[in-house]
Amino acid sequence: MNGRRAMHIRFHRRDVLRLLGASSLGAAALPLFAQEPKLPKLVTVSGAITEVVYLLGAEGQLVGTDTTSLYPAAARATPKVGYMRQLSAEGLLSLKPDAIIATNESGPSVVLDQVRSAGVKVEIIEADHSWGEVQRKVQAVGRAAAREAQARELQAKLDAEWAQVQQRVAAFKGRKPRVLFVLSHSASPQVSGEKTAAHAVIGFAGGINALGGFQGYRPMTAEAMASAAPDIILTSTQGIEAHGGVDRFWQRPELALTPAFRKRSLITQDALLLLGFGPRTPASIADLHEKFATALA
Amino acid sequence: MSQRFSARAVLGGSALLLVAAIVLGAVSGAYAISLSQLWNVLTTLGQGADKSPEHLVFLNIRLPRLLLGVAAGAGLGMAGTLMQGLFRNPLADPGLVGISSGAALAAGVTIVLGASLWPSLPRTLGSWTLVLMAFGGGLCVTLLIYGLSRSEGGTRMALMLLAGIAVNALAGAGLGFLSVMATDEQLRSLQFWLLGSLGGARWSAVLLVAAAVLAACVAARSLAAPLNAIALGEAQAALLGVDVERIKRRAVVVTAVAVGAVTATTGIIGFIGLIAPHWVRMVAGPDHRVVLPASALLGAALVLCADTVARTAMAPAELPLGVLTAFIGVPMFLWMLRRFRGRI
Amino acid sequence: MTASAVNMPRDPMALSCAGVAVRIGEKTLLADATVELAAGRVTAILGPNGAGKSTLLSVLAGQRAPTQGRVTLDGRPLEAHGMPALALRRALMPQESAVAFDFTAQEIVALGRYPHRRAPGRDEDAIVEEAMALTDVSALAGRVLNTLSGGEKSRAHMARALAQLWHSRPDGASRWLLLDEPTAALDLAHQHSAMRLLREWAGRGVGVVTVLHDLNLARRYADEVVVLGGDAGGPVQGPAAEVLQPALIERVWRTPCQPVTSADGTVQYLFG
Repeated sequence: MNGRRAMHIRFHRRDVLRLLGASSLGAAALPLFAQEPKLPKLVTVSGAITEVVYLLGAEGQLVGTDTTSLYPAAARATPKVGYMRQLSAEGLLSLKPDAIIATNESGPSVVLDQVRSAGVKVEIIEADHSWGEVQRKVQAVGRAAAREAQARELQAKLDAEWAQVQQRVAAFKGRKPRVLFVLSHSASPQVSGEKTAAHAVIGFAGGINALGGFQGYRPMTAEAMASAAPDIILTSTQGIEAHGGVDRFWQRPELALTPAFRKRSLITQDALLLLGFGPRTPASIADLHEKFATALA
Repeated sequence: MSQRFSARAVLGGSALLLVAAIVLGAVSGAYAISLSQLWNVLTTLGQGADKSPEHLVFLNIRLPRLLLGVAAGAGLGMAGTLMQGLFRNPLADPGLVGISSGAALAAGVTIVLGASLWPSLPRTLGSWTLVLMAFGGGLCVTLLIYGLSRSEGGTRMALMLLAGIAVNALAGAGLGFLSVMATDEQLRSLQFWLLGSLGGARWSAVLLVAAAVLAACVAARSLAAPLNAIALGEAQAALLGVDVERIKRRAVVVTAVAVGAVTATTGIIGFIGLIAPHWVRMVAGPDHRVVLPASALLGAALVLCADTVARTAMAPAELPLGVLTAFIGVPMFLWMLRRFRGRI
Repeated sequence: MTASAVNMPRDPMALSCAGVAVRIGEKTLLADATVELAAGRVTAILGPNGAGKSTLLSVLAGQRAPTQGRVTLDGRPLEAHGMPALALRRALMPQESAVAFDFTAQEIVALGRYPHRRAPGRDEDAIVEEAMALTDVSALAGRVLNTLSGGEKSRAHMARALAQLWHSRPDGASRWLLLDEPTAALDLAHQHSAMRLLREWAGRGVGVVTVLHDLNLARRYADEVVVLGGDAGGPVQGPAAEVLQPALIERVWRTPCQPVTSADGTVQYLFG
């Protein structure tokens, strides 16, 4: 009786082994027979969009980025297609992408049309400085990279983070600080009014834009600063470097009459992180909100 | 006694240079197209065969760009010769009559104020708006400067020069004001426009510019011999039977149309209108019947060479063309100055 | 060579101006000039600085419209002829000319043929060469004009004017060679060879009208003179020998003048 069962088992094991062997051979043979779908190649124009690509694990599909794509560090090593407003049609096409994802600030528009007519999908995302912008970026990358499932996951995660931050901001009972954003790309610093990314960011973080009544950017003048009377100055770390450090920044005469000057209330963040409207935005807003609270305390 | 090359040699040489520049431009670019692929594209033109990517890139992107470069360089070289002949001064360039600054100001207005002036303009029409505004702006400023330079005796070149300096300064101030009002993005757009580029050349625009430059070049042919006479001075030219007023008017119109069309499409490409005629004069002498066509050919070759470098030096990105025309033009110009300095 | 002192017939078809005045604002450059010039003669326009010699010449050439009065050629006003038609038969050699760019002397002389470009002869190159030979600038043909001396430039411009009038007109119309101080920059030898050249051309029927500052050259080579700048208003016109009397010379030029007769019988003047 034992012998027969043992034989039975041996037979069974042998069969299983044979089956396993056959199937592993078969599995190894699959690439030769089946058509594995190639993942689409992407060019991203705008730092935030590039960040989404890396978060979806699709960096292997990334063949080119623009000069504002600086995060994560690996993005700096990708081929650069130039400044987002001055793209080159042949340059873009030479990377042989399947899709290009850019914001509506990219151009020139004729170049994008030329690229479209060559058969490349060009997805333009409206940059309206809202959370919807971030959502659209995630969805667009997910679609273009054929990673819609991962995109939906990322979307859900980010939405949850965002909701949390917004709740915290709404629950805050203290006074809303008057915040003023200083942009320092060129020789003369500019300050931002309404309809700017900075304006939206300040609002989201629970502050009030100290400057109102105009849209876009204006040069910084002493009188304007005095009448705006911001409690906090917000600027980018790159801007502070351009000024030669925090102390040199505070030496600017326009700032001398502001409440922010008296308490040296300055908040700095990396420019892309602060204004990029990408996946790191919830973290950025949370950080800002905390610093607002500390500054007023 | 003077070491001049014959007209035939100079014209032939310039034409050869242009052909070489065209070939170089055709085979170079960010997108790799091998010579055999290029040959294939050229030999199957119009056969409606299935369009490979190389076909599309060459026919829709590279070829119109080459043609735009030829038209731009020819228009600028020819206009530079006309202006130097008209002002009887080798330092003149097409910008003196305000075409470039007028176009720049109009472009600035469109870029910075366009959104508020025409908020509901669809995007494709928007790009034509910039071209049309720039062309119109250039013509308006030229008309203004020409009008300011007229006195009872006719058009006085000294007045035109002064009016041109003043109006150019005003346009520059206007641009400065606009850049203060501009957002960061608009400022960058304006900056790039001012630095010049052949990018975004689409067939519709390119064919229009080429037609304008060709018409201008044909009209300019009849100006060559009179400009030689004008080198003696306007009074002497009149005594030789030259209708000096008519020549001035025609030269200004031809310059305005050619340079206006080019600048509206490419932005400001500097230096070509100034140096192309100089180079030709150094090897061929000042006879406008040679300098006019040779400057057009040489100008076209220069622009194409500069653009080829612009497209390939930092591929897949692009350098602005105006920067390159200076970087390439100046050293070669200085070399020529040394080589031929005995005859300056 | 003496100027013949005969009664010159006044030809109504010639180049003449009547009652011409040129004023610019308050300044009067030329006041009430009536002059009649005939082809086939050398007429010298003389006068002190500021008398209006160049102005008169430019009015006669049609370069400048007079403020008052009119200029006629062949009985018709100058404007009626039109500048291109005039350029076929009238050349003006300027006193100075700033030439732009590095044109060679030969190219400048060749510009004299510009009015004839629509109907070029078969000998255009030969005309330019021969004109340069006449004024002794053949050796300078390939030199850049702006590098030449003042006298060499003058001779090149004179060759240009000659080239412009080289062939007689098929319709027999008179040719006019107007020159503004052609001898001013020339050395002695070239001064006299140039004046002899002008006499030769006058002998072939060309009307030569030249502003001169040198009275002796005028006395020796001109058939007729027109003296401007006398206090008695208007130019004095007449045969050189008759007009250039010491009394008039001293009145107009305010310089003591002593006539002497040279070995060949020509009267010349000593000044000072």
